[in-house]
Amino acid sequence: MSRSGYVAMLDLGAGVVLVCAVVTLWRRSLAAIIRVLALQGVALGGVALVLGLRQHDGALVVVSFVVVAEKGAAIPAVLMRVVPRGPTSRELSPLVNVPASLVAAGALTLLAFAVSGPVVALVPTATGRLVPLGLATVLIGVLAMAIRKKAVSQIVGLLLVDNGIALVAFLATGGFPLVVELGASLDVLLVVVVLRVLGSEIRSRYGVLDLDELQELHD
Amino acid sequence: MSGAVLVLEVALGAAAAAAGGLAPRNIRVRVAAALTAAACVAAIVVAVDVLGSGHPVAVRTAEILPLTGAGLVLGQLGAVLVSVTAVVAIAVCVYWPGYAHHGLSSRAASCVVPVFVTSMLVVLEAGDTVTFLVAWELMALSSLLLVLVDQDRREETRSAGQWYAVMTHAGAASIVLAMVLVSAHAGGHSFAAIRSQAGHLPGGVRDVALVLALVGFGSKAGVVPLHVWLPKAHPEAPSPVSALMSGAMVNLGIYGILLVGDRLLGGGPSWWWTAVVALGVVSALYGALQASAASDLKRLLAYSTTDNMGLVLVAVGVSGLLADGRHQTLGALAMVAALLLVVNHALFKASLFLSVGSIQAATGTRELDRLGGLVRRMPVTTAVFVVAALAVAALPPLNGFVGEWLLFQSLLHGLEVSGAVVGVVVSVAVAALALTGGLTVVAFVKAIGVGLLGRPRSPGAEAAREVPHGMQIGAGLLAALCMVLGVAPMLVVPYLERAAATVVAGGRSSVLRGGIELELSGLHGVLAPAWTAVGLALVAGVAVGTRDLVRRRPKRRVAEGWACGRELLTPRMQYTAASFAEPLERVFDDVLRPDRDVTVSHVAESRFFVERVAYRSSVGDVVERVAYRPAIRAVRWWGSRARALQNGSVHRYLGYGLVALLVVLVVLA
Amino acid sequence: MTAPPDVAGAVLVAGAQILVVGVGGPLLLGLMRKTRSRLEGRVGPPVRQPLLDVRKLFAKQRIRPQCGSWLFAAGPIVLISTSVMVAGTAPLLTTRPALGQSTDFFGVVFVLLLGSVFLALAALDTGTPFGGMGASRATTIGALAEPALLVAVLAFSIPAHTSNLPALVRDGLSNPQVIASPGRILALAAFVVVVLAESGRLPVDNPSTHLELTMIHEAMVLEHSGPDLALVTVGESMRLALLLGLLVNLSVPWGIATASGMASLVVGAVALAAKVVLAGIAIATFEVFTAKLRLFRLPELLAGAFVLALLGVVTALVAR
Repeated sequence: MSRSGYVAMLDLGAGVVLVCAVVTLWRRSLAAIIRVLALQGVALGGVALVLGLRQHDGALVVVSFVVVAEKGAAIPAVLMRVVPRGPTSRELSPLVNVPASLVAAGALTLLAFAVSGPVVALVPTATGRLVPLGLATVLIGVLAMAIRKKAVSQIVGLLLVDNGIALVAFLATGGFPLVVELGASLDVLLVVVVLRVLGSEIRSRYGVLDLDELQELHD
Repeated sequence: MSGAVLVLEVALGAAAAAAGGLAPRNIRVRVAAALTAAACVAAIVVAVDVLGSGHPVAVRTAEILPLTGAGLVLGQLGAVLVSVTAVVAIAVCVYWPGYAHHGLSSRAASCVVPVFVTSMLVVLEAGDTVTFLVAWELMALSSLLLVLVDQDRREETRSAGQWYAVMTHAGAASIVLAMVLVSAHAGGHSFAAIRSQAGHLPGGVRDVALVLALVGFGSKAGVVPLHVWLPKAHPEAPSPVSALMSGAMVNLGIYGILLVGDRLLGGGPSWWWTAVVALGVVSALYGALQASAASDLKRLLAYSTTDNMGLVLVAVGVSGLLADGRHQTLGALAMVAALLLVVNHALFKASLFLSVGSIQAATGTRELDRLGGLVRRMPVTTAVFVVAALAVAALPPLNGFVGEWLLFQSLLHGLEVSGAVVGVVVSVAVAALALTGGLTVVAFVKAIGVGLLGRPRSPGAEAAREVPHGMQIGAGLLAALCMVLGVAPMLVVPYLERAAATVVAGGRSSVLRGGIELELSGLHGVLAPAWTAVGLALVAGVAVGTRDLVRRRPKRRVAEGWACGRELLTPRMQYTAASFAEPLERVFDDVLRPDRDVTVSHVAESRFFVERVAYRSSVGDVVERVAYRPAIRAVRWWGSRARALQNGSVHRYLGYGLVALLVVLVVLA
Repeated sequence: MTAPPDVAGAVLVAGAQILVVGVGGPLLLGLMRKTRSRLEGRVGPPVRQPLLDVRKLFAKQRIRPQCGSWLFAAGPIVLISTSVMVAGTAPLLTTRPALGQSTDFFGVVFVLLLGSVFLALAALDTGTPFGGMGASRATTIGALAEPALLVAVLAFSIPAHTSNLPALVRDGLSNPQVIASPGRILALAAFVVVVLAESGRLPVDNPSTHLELTMIHEAMVLEHSGPDLALVTVGESMRLALLLGLLVNLSVPWGIATASGMASLVVGAVALAAKVVLAGIAIATFEVFTAKLRLFRLPELLAGAFVLALLGVVTALVAR
């Protein structure tokens, strides 16, 4: 793999991760959002794979396969099963309307670019300059959690944050140690499964999975 | 020699004011206008001399102002703006006699208009703080008097006058503080003396002075959130005065910011310029949005002024940021863009205000929804308005386009060299520039399409007649200049470059070159407005020829428009200004917060049959509602509290005096 | 910096480009209609139908609505002038078009905008409800598409250090990795959305609608007839071909002529036609599977395009 090819692949992978984050704010259909999330997981795994091959780091290659399997396949599959069929499967009225949240996402990206200067300076390798993209993904994830009503959208926001952190980690340090990465992945998977169980429980009992409706529950 | 002409200019201005006040009624306006125009010609002569030779012209007289004397120094930056002001004023003077009997022929008005013009010129020529402030105050007062010309007839005029008076004096107070602060610390009141000491001023003083200047001059330039007087005062003033205010006076706000920020303080930390860009971005977007929602023609133009001044501030701020980061050439490029935007804005906006004055004179209204159909009744005025409006919308081959292109180029090349923070500022500026451009197009398509085209929507518009030639020429002159500068920007750009080089310290003086084309030197970017114009004209000619190629075609026929088979089209079926802007209003609902009101009245027999539906939608100024109304309420509350102190007893008032005297004595001791 | 003018060569190149776009535009329109018909199981009119329509329209009578003035007549003329002007000077067949030194991307955007503005003014000049409706909607969409477009132009321009169009295409030829860079891809995605919006295709506007209330672009040109309508049709189809031509030349520049001379020009024309045909078929196929968006959902689409373009700028800055 030539050097420019390597850099281009990394650029592409990181770019796809960020674009997927934005697209989750753009789309309303929950199923589409989850598919985008799966694509993001694959792109993240791709970044890890490219890094691992380039640095001859076997553990990172293994991690990349784990990432693809977990974030690209397992978690989306679990989430898909929570998504109901029919009109409730759309994020119909987010707290902030779609154009405004898209513009906010753009602003957050610019902010990430402006503030990540010190981090970029810390990282010696050429991969460090892509850190702002990861940071932007994290910020967009938090935004998604703050403005979306559906429980699934909130989980998606959490996963965006996780993916963003993972991207920053890969780019800045060449990845966590294998054990840490595996542990973190399992944690996330566990969280998703728990939320899924909880979500279907809530829905079967109250018929909705809209978090604002839960406000009615407190005494 | 030039110094003498400078004195002559002021003398002519004074003579014009005197003639306006003293001459007999039938020649009053003509004499005042002619003498004012002569003063402006003198000003242009000096300005061209300064720009040609590159040396400032200075005059000092000890007699005029007590203690300090008055000093006039015309530098390159001042010369550019003096020329702009003088050109606008000359056009207004050509226009004025025709317009006079619509409320601008009184003795007071004929006396004050020359004072207003001359004081604007002197502000730009002032060489020290005292002269500057005296001229500034004279300008503020004379413009206030001119806004109030119509106050006997309209309630709104009085309210607008109040707003303007408060805002302009608060601004002036802020400017006085800034100037006093700087000259006190620098130990001299001439601009040259302050400049030489600028490096030794404490940082805090510099920051406070800049913020005060931004507030004071920003309110004059109509920068959000200090713009509230603009959409009130510009519509209520007589149109020639609006043209002077919008074409010339707002520029002085920009001049003031450059004067204090760059020439007196010699630039500063990057947060100054980031603040300027931020103010510019907010003003541009808010102004453009309000303009696209407005349905009063002059209000639309006033908001568009806020928008354009915002763009100028963006260019000024980016120029400061780049010069700050040691990219003087790019800084100078952005400054040239700023100056070109100022020149362009003066030309097209003054032309537009004069055209609207003609329209108002001919139809008696400036409400878009009561106009229409003027393209046949007032062909010349319509043509002038269309040219100037397309120039505002930055369409080639007119001057507005060249200005926006230069701004875009300076942003693009600035983005390449800048670090992360400046990069973000510049990216936001590009996005704002783009959205503003789109909204401006909506606003002016609406202004032309609803206001001038289609069928007349009121008896006034139906009965409109073309205005006298003087008024057509006054407005047309400026529109013609818009076309000339759009095709051949290099006529003025070299002068703007030299002026920009004096502002951006150490900037190279050649950032642009070329004759027919406009080329960035050292960077890759060329624009050929002349070729675009020639090409478009050529193709249009061929297209007309092709269209009329078939000779045997039946003659052109006139028919009713299509309305789904309905026989008769009425003017009421046309889109109104409100309906034209409705989709956009909906998109920006959260920012504009329009008041919508739908009243449905039913027929008496059954409530299932609707008799009529009335829909009203009005867009107020959000900034005014959110920021100013509470402030005004608070002031009123304090006022009513303070009333308790006043009970009419003379003894009590004398007692207050005694207490105040005692307090002063104690404090001094 | 400007080379000594080779006037004959420049006229030849400009003429060839105008000819290719002028004839190719209507054909592209016919091809897209044909593709749609076939995919929907219909036979559809022949590909050259738009050209036949134009020929027929040219022989017809001109009709103007009662209150149409000179601005009404100017609309089609200005529209076609801007399309031809850009067709003559944009890098379509060759990277050295006539006046190529000064063919600025920013300038091209505004020249095309001039045509749209005049078309909207002509529509308002008719004094009919539909004219106003079309003009209002079209200018609103244009205003919202503008930020996406200009920010995309900025994203294109950053790696090449210029917004000069031929230079951008040449840059793509000499550094292919620029084309595959995420910044460029994002900007292209935004540009595609803007092209769909500006040329009145689905999901923004349905070009084949016959219901006045749902019209955007068609409502503006309802009153034009005979040769005026022919000019509008040619102008609009040229604009679509132009935008697609720029799109493909910015994304896959290969095949475009880099040298002067007849042979390379022909090769360039064939390459351009092939690429644009593919893009046109792709858009037509996409249209078959897409419904028109509600007017008030359009801001979401265009805001999305804007954010994509903005991300393009950021990634271009990051990758610098």
